[in-house]
Amino acid sequence: MFTELIRFLFDILAFTSVMVLIVLGLGVIASMMGIFNFAHGELVLLGAYTVFIVHDAGYNIWVGIMCAPVVVGLFGVILERSIIRRFYTLPVVAMLGTYAIGLIIRETIRGLLGGHYRSVPEPLSGSWSAFSLEFSIWRTLIIVSTALVIVGSWLFLTKTSFGLQIRASLENPRLARASGISTDSLYTFTFAFGAALAGLAGALVVPLYQLSADMGLRFLVQGFLSIMLGGIGTFEGPVLGAAAVGALAAGLPWAVLPVLADPLVFVTALVIVKLRPQGFIGGSR
Amino acid sequence: MKDESLNETSNRLPSPFRRRAFLTGAGALAAAGWTAGGPGSWFLPAAWGQSKNPIKMGIATDITGAIAPSGNSDWQAAQLAAEQINAAGGIAGRSIQLFLEDTASDPKIAVANVRKLIQRDKVDVVCGGITSAMRQAIKDPIVNRGKTLYLYPQLYEGQECTKHLFNTGPTPAQQVDELIPYLIKTLGKKRFAMPSANYVWPQLLNKYARKVIEANGGEVVFEEYYPLDQAEYSATINKIRDGKVDCVFNTIIPPGLQPFMKQLYESGFPKNGGVQACVYFDENSLNYVPARELEGIYSCLDYFHTVDDPFSKELLAAYAKRFPGTKYQFTAGSAATGMYRGIRLYEAAARVTKGDTAREAVSAALDRAKIDRGPGGGAEMVPGKMHAKMNMYIAQCKKIDGDRLRWDIISKYNMVDPKEC
Repeated sequence: MFTELIRFLFDILAFTSVMVLIVLGLGVIASMMGIFNFAHGELVLLGAYTVFIVHDAGYNIWVGIMCAPVVVGLFGVILERSIIRRFYTLPVVAMLGTYAIGLIIRETIRGLLGGHYRSVPEPLSGSWSAFSLEFSIWRTLIIVSTALVIVGSWLFLTKTSFGLQIRASLENPRLARASGISTDSLYTFTFAFGAALAGLAGALVVPLYQLSADMGLRFLVQGFLSIMLGGIGTFEGPVLGAAAVGALAAGLPWAVLPVLADPLVFVTALVIVKLRPQGFIGGSR
Repeated sequence: MKDESLNETSNRLPSPFRRRAFLTGAGALAAAGWTAGGPGSWFLPAAWGQSKNPIKMGIATDITGAIAPSGNSDWQAAQLAAEQINAAGGIAGRSIQLFLEDTASDPKIAVANVRKLIQRDKVDVVCGGITSAMRQAIKDPIVNRGKTLYLYPQLYEGQECTKHLFNTGPTPAQQVDELIPYLIKTLGKKRFAMPSANYVWPQLLNKYARKVIEANGGEVVFEEYYPLDQAEYSATINKIRDGKVDCVFNTIIPPGLQPFMKQLYESGFPKNGGVQACVYFDENSLNYVPARELEGIYSCLDYFHTVDDPFSKELLAAYAKRFPGTKYQFTAGSAATGMYRGIRLYEAAARVTKGDTAREAVSAALDRAKIDRGPGGGAEMVPGKMHAKMNMYIAQCKKIDGDRLRWDIISKYNMVDPKEC
């Protein structure tokens, strides 16, 4: 019974970590910039695709995993400079615009992959054991990296003066500009940071799944649900929301028919949003 | 075989927009290997000197969209078959002319495009469709309203008994009748799990397989259906472990497939003596499942590259020569073998009618058509049953030098009955 429980908890934690890792970048951009980035799933895809290309070219997968956040971050810079910055005052247009960007990325990658599903091996395969149970090394690594990324991002955004400037320019852009902060470049940086997080998530997660053009889509819907659940405007909100959605999605199939689990996640989340429309954390800022 | 919900993403744009976008990008796309046929219809002219009054054959398959890799294999197999027939002098002096329409992995688009084959090109026969959803969508415009003959090439769930619709791929009986007794009697596996994608092919295949399992003294521990893109299977893996399952009969398809394969592998299932069977796995599977997770898996299909039959080997070489370096392989799971077989059966029927392509005449001849040579061996329509007898092979996936795989044929079953209709 004890070992059963450990296994159950590990499995839930592993999937929750994946969910949190993916939602983090989405949450940062939504909370800090007020942009609902519908291309987020495709930024994750782009990170995964980077790993695939690097591996395909004969390099070590670790190189690919290191490259992914950089490549996707730089892509984020270009995206923000050329397109996203025109949307700051038009949130609805921003949704449509980012959806279009996502569509272009998705279909381009579908073409490059020839429509195939591809697999990317994990650089550390195998398992480690404890309590006479075996745990996948890569899943463990994802749990650990998620924790590190959360702590790192949180410290960066709340404890550094750079983070302070970002938050200042979001709360009151005029005053920030008057105080000598270049809000323009901060927005670019924040978007690139969110994109890089998405790239990293894609790179870490792709060995668990198949690389296919639609890889990001599944997580996009659950990602927005997480943000709704957690509340917008804080760093912690989306993280908690993602944790809740991840735990529900992984835990429900243990109790109910798997086909029912998906809709039940949504129903549960919507009920919570109805009872607490501001989200877990929202409004407390 | 695969389901239309795979194609969800390709449904989002209204087709005029997509077509325009597609046309403008077509040059670049073709360069990147996007499409084989390009947008709209594609037309393979008959060879010189035989173009008088050709037999018009429509190929309706998924050149673009989610299952484009299979569709392109089918189109290439069709070209190979037609070219071989024409090179050998055609059918009763008439050559075959191919007309391609893209069904775009999307039944809504497909219906309009298939109508073009019928109304504009006035084809004598249509071959194609891969998913069951696609077959259901295009069979009415072809067979009923279009009054045209239809050949469906893919392995599928059975129960398609429409007049003038001939099925040239394997049925559940052909894929399961020999495989399951082998798993139970020879390998000694008794406790089955049936994890499945939630759509019609796994549902009906499982219904049939369950009967065969129980009739052979096996037991189904659980039969479970998942959303097609399910990403987390820990609950399933736990049931497999707790239920002491020793054989997994898998009908999960991409994109939900890889996480399942990975988690099953990591749970130590194969290491601890568990066996897995999946009847659509073929030479293409290595594209989406890593070698170590495929190793040891059993499949049962009408053809593998390793089939030791002179014509099958010749065919594989001809395909490789005609499409050098193609990423679309000639395999059974993609329906390419069913496509080739279908066209050859049509040829046999049209020879009997002496080149008469009137539907009633060809249909009557096709009903008892027989070919001696084909992928995996000969094939023979079962009169009145709309399905074909063909050789079936049980094969196991073996790892050879590093990450390459080979399907080793374990046993061959001659002219297995489709048991349909």
